[in-house]
Amino acid sequence: MTQDNIPPYDADVIIVGCGPAGMTAAVELVQAGCSVIVLDMQPTPGGQIFRNLEANLRDSSPSGQTLLDALGPAYKAGAELIQRFRTFRGIDYRPQTTVWEVRPDGTVGWLQGINAGYVRGRQVLLAHGAMERPVPFPGWTLPGVMTAGAVQTLLKAGHLKPTGNVVLAGTGPLLLLLANQLHQLGIKPALIGRTDRFADALSGVSHLRPGGLLPLIKGLGWVARLKAAGVKSVTGLKDLAAHGHRKVEAISFTANGRQQTQACDLLIVHDGIVPSIDIPNSAGLRLQWDEANASWRPDTTFDGQTASSLPPELYAGRCVIRVTGDARRIGGADAAMAHGRLAAQSILADLGRGTGPCSKAVRSVRKSLSVRPFLDAVFPPGLSRALPENDTIVCRCEELTAGNLREKIRSGFRNMDALRGETRCGMGPCQGRSCMVTAARLLQEHTHATACPPTFRGRPPIRPIPLGAIANLSGLDPRATIRLTLEDKPEHGVEETVDVPAE
Amino acid sequence: MNDIKTHVSPPETSAPDTAEQSFSADTGFKLFAALGPVPDAITLFLDDQPIIARQGDTVAVCILRTGVPYNRLNPVSGAPRLPYCMIGHCFECLVEIDGIANQQACLTVVRDGMKIRRQLGAPLALKHPEV
Ligand code: FES
Repeated sequence: MTQDNIPPYDADVIIVGCGPAGMTAAVELVQAGCSVIVLDMQPTPGGQIFRNLEANLRDSSPSGQTLLDALGPAYKAGAELIQRFRTFRGIDYRPQTTVWEVRPDGTVGWLQGINAGYVRGRQVLLAHGAMERPVPFPGWTLPGVMTAGAVQTLLKAGHLKPTGNVVLAGTGPLLLLLANQLHQLGIKPALIGRTDRFADALSGVSHLRPGGLLPLIKGLGWVARLKAAGVKSVTGLKDLAAHGHRKVEAISFTANGRQQTQACDLLIVHDGIVPSIDIPNSAGLRLQWDEANASWRPDTTFDGQTASSLPPELYAGRCVIRVTGDARRIGGADAAMAHGRLAAQSILADLGRGTGPCSKAVRSVRKSLSVRPFLDAVFPPGLSRALPENDTIVCRCEELTAGNLREKIRSGFRNMDALRGETRCGMGPCQGRSCMVTAARLLQEHTHATACPPTFRGRPPIRPIPLGAIANLSGLDPRATIRLTLEDKPEHGVEETVDVPAE
Repeated sequence: MNDIKTHVSPPETSAPDTAEQSFSADTGFKLFAALGPVPDAITLFLDDQPIIARQGDTVAVCILRTGVPYNRLNPVSGAPRLPYCMIGHCFECLVEIDGIANQQACLTVVRDGMKIRRQLGAPLALKHPEV
């Protein structure tokens, strides 16, 4: 135990996630003399956008080169940042480490292999990124249905390309980008079904800022190239369903007012990306509802400072968590880097090592995010827009349908935790990551409440952790534990001890 | 090497559909193909059958490269599942790795000689679908 009951800090700042935002912030902080721990689930730095970039750049095989060409300059653009991140020995980088708890006081629970523990930072920066919007539709649990992000990961980190009849369905820049990348790798999709329409694109023009011109031109280029290649495409797609016995064999949908079917081996779906709120929700951080994106996001100040929604007695003092990058607000890699820098500068000020964000950092965050209203207008949520029909599975883990949930809601289970307790929706291995937003919307459908939809109460551990790892937790707060000797006659003179909660 | 057609010896727990226990590279489950040859391949065991992997691959990549109909059967209905998100969110990629069940294949990096088993749901739930 240290003097004045101040627990020992393991680092000035603990960063969760090693994508563009996390790496940028780590570099900025270490350069200013801070000690930094970076915890990341992936084996190498880069996040999902620059996934496996280092290895792919080293790969000189013909297929490796073809892949790099297909992934394009936006992928290679991460090389410099990753290299800078690697250069700083002062960054305590811990790959393949999952985070199963974050507390407002700066305590972070981690798991690496079969070892787990807590680390404490004076400040915590969450840069854990985004997830693809969950899209429940009939047949979405069949083998052969995957997200666009998953297929991109298989390209980048697995050097695998789809075979057979490939259909892409949904909306958003990633869908078009992936279709182009596949085409460059010699895969001609059987169909691209977009839920958005040209009318959406026109309505977006009123939001257009100069910064939005480039993505617009890029997007139109992708559409034109696919068209020139003779890829069949429809817009205004609705009522998507996947059919087949134990795997996808065909899909059906409505477009242009008529029902259509299409043979299909791999259905790639994408309905935009949303901030991943598993960590903020379980840390008890205040969330807000982003109406245009039909998603939650952490309630933060411009520099990412969060606020706890927990009663003060549940955490000591101030909330030292900031959120940055796509985990705070979807903006893509450039916006993530800009905000990572800004958040780092604010953290430095909090640590007494700086004067706060410079005006250049503030400007570049504003500029990089200014294109979003336009993209939100052009690519509104599509596949998830209408709530699922009664026989569609909402909770993949427990195989609960929208009908199961509606019935329970009608019979009186009118809050998320009661619904979860009654049905097990959100209690499977994914802990509600895939079903929570749909369950919340089904509840709202009935209650007509208009405020920010409630979430399931998040409870650590938010990722599975082996019992053996819990039994050997390292880094427990010495103020909160006492050390017990397990045996009264230690063998070989070595005491076996265990940490237990103090009175 | 990755074109496995042999039958897999049944694991201890029994699946509802024993025909599903064979790898079916030959029955159209190749959703993905390798972009090029796999250099410096290492060997893993998927339900006792050798499969290849690149250094740095995740287990989920190897499962999809091999081409099997599922990596787990859902414990509620026994429905087959394959990886869905590949970034650790959906938990559909759960497998047993070196004796420890419920590991996320998409987050686990391969090691030479790693032993992977597909998860056959929860056998009791499969026998009593109404429970
Ligand atoms: S494939 Fe979704 S968690 Fe692994």
